[in-house]
Amino acid sequence: MLELRLVQGSLLKKVLEAIRELVTDANFDCSGTGFSLQAMDSSHVALVALLLRAEGFEHYRCDRNLSMGMNLNNMAKMLRCAGNDDIITIKADDGSDTVTFMFESPKQDKIADFEMKLMDIDSEHLGIPDSEYQAIVRMPSAEFMRICKDLSSIGDTVVISVTKEGVKFSTSGEIGSANIVCRQNQTIDKPEEATIIEMQEPVSLTFALRYMNSFTKASSLSEQVTISLSSELPVVVEYKIAEMGYIRFYLAPKIEEDEEMKA
Amino acid sequence: MGIKGLTKLLADNAPKAMKEQKFESYFGRKIAIDASMSIYQFLIVVGRTGMETLTNEAGEVTSHLQGMFNRTIRLLEAGIKPVYVFDGKPPDMKKEELAKRFSKREDATNDLKEAVEAGDKDAVEKLSKRTVKVTAQHNDDCKRLLRLMGVPVVEAPSEAEAECAALCKNDKVFAVASEDMDSLTFGAPRFLRHLMDPSSKKIPVMEFDVAKVLEELELTMDQFIDLCILCGCDYCDSIKGIGGQTALKLIRQHGSIESILENLNKDRYQIPEDWPYQEARRLFKEPNVTLDVPELKWTPPDEEGLISFLVKDNGFNEDRVTKAIEKIKSAKNKSSQGRLESFFKPVATTSAPLKRKETSDKTSKAAAANKKTKAGGKKK
Repeated sequence: MLELRLVQGSLLKKVLEAIRELVTDANFDCSGTGFSLQAMDSSHVALVALLLRAEGFEHYRCDRNLSMGMNLNNMAKMLRCAGNDDIITIKADDGSDTVTFMFESPKQDKIADFEMKLMDIDSEHLGIPDSEYQAIVRMPSAEFMRICKDLSSIGDTVVISVTKEGVKFSTSGEIGSANIVCRQNQTIDKPEEATIIEMQEPVSLTFALRYMNSFTKASSLSEQVTISLSSELPVVVEYKIAEMGYIRFYLAPKIEEDEEMKA
Repeated sequence: MGIKGLTKLLADNAPKAMKEQKFESYFGRKIAIDASMSIYQFLIVVGRTGMETLTNEAGEVTSHLQGMFNRTIRLLEAGIKPVYVFDGKPPDMKKEELAKRFSKREDATNDLKEAVEAGDKDAVEKLSKRTVKVTAQHNDDCKRLLRLMGVPVVEAPSEAEAECAALCKNDKVFAVASEDMDSLTFGAPRFLRHLMDPSSKKIPVMEFDVAKVLEELELTMDQFIDLCILCGCDYCDSIKGIGGQTALKLIRQHGSIESILENLNKDRYQIPEDWPYQEARRLFKEPNVTLDVPELKWTPPDEEGLISFLVKDNGFNEDRVTKAIEKIKSAKNKSSQGRLESFFKPVATTSAPLKRKETSDKTSKAAAANKKTKAGGKKK
């Protein structure tokens, strides 16, 4: 038996819109601690990890650890039927092969039940160790989205370099090249506009912009985005979800060709 | 060719061992490809209508080059790192099978002549495909082409299938691509079918996982090899009247060919008089392979070499070849994308699926029961 009541239903709608481009089918895992998802894109380059902690729900009941395989496009279709102010409740019975989404209007004058078929998804779960990152950049999510969008009109890849000066995003393509540098900026009165760089050592990594652009679909969830970088590790692009959890995107870097390949 | 009816047998009895995968999902992976099989397919399919095939000015067939060139570029563009493995000397055991194929080809050649005289177009189409033979010249052409493209070539001491499997077992490559189900019998841990199919067919790649095959069939690797021999392989005859399903039942019941022979009703089934199944088993278990292969390297293409070989010697369109070379070069860039698995390792999940799989409980119990009986059997 599973029953999760989320007052701010729009969060779930936004989460779905943020990940459905990257992943088509995924298992949602439910445990006593929270509602989570981990899934890779079909080419195993990017991974999305979602966590909505149990405390963030108005009512949270999950008797045993469960996983529910869902087609995210279908799930998004159903959630689009919920109003932005609706309360969303996710319900499932043991042994059932469906999940029910219940949408309640804020005034309680309309209740809608949407039942969706579940699917068997054979997915690999990756163990992600906690790592110390060489550089952590926190910046306005809208700014990051703009940078990725702008750069992708010039090139396919972005080099993200963090130095004492700030964080630099650069690309180059057939028509030319571009460099965008963001400096540390701690605006006291508007924390959501701050750019904060914590650097242990300088780091520079290359990523495919296609994926970065897809990650920025989560910008509506949070004013700020955190980008954690380490050489030899996938980048983590994290959006916090209203005190109750996060959505994290991991992206494997482009690797420098072997010496022989360059020759 | 390969193991008779094994695909269907696995689809019926080990569906979880087969997974459909997108072609794109293999980017960054090193994949060993059975070259001879691919060349054979190219000769049959590429640019052929009836008796007409692609040829150069000297009238030599170039279908294999066209096929090899285009398909390999497709792999490279998807970021896949192909390694082509060529057949060496066939094992003596296979000679009989090869002789059979030779005589079939002879028959087809004769029939073809008749069909051409009779003007039967459908028959010509069908029979001309049957007369296709991969010659040493075809192989050498392809090797030369691949080297010019900067793609590594491995020459197997004997069977290419076996060599591919050995490369995969030793983590030199991620998977083996072939259409020949032998790869599984040789124990290739990961085996892909339809990787080399033309993109126009839109057939997803079918990935077989040997460990899961064994788990689902509830067999050991040795028993699986025996099963394949019973189904019918390239090395020896099989017992008439015993197909895949019966073979699986017998192997599960008796555990090995020896024990099946002791218990089999000899009046009902005729066992071939000269049946070297032990020899066949040995070929699958200890095939003649080498791990002493040069380091697998993917180098930039030799542009001049390719133009001279393809355009000057074999009448390819120069514009197309130049464009294709550009594709190879830009594909290099794509292959530099890392995969998440090289950073994070898979772990088992703890949560059970809500949607109950009807069979999962039953099979796990059956597997457990089977283990017990196996253990008991050994003690006796």
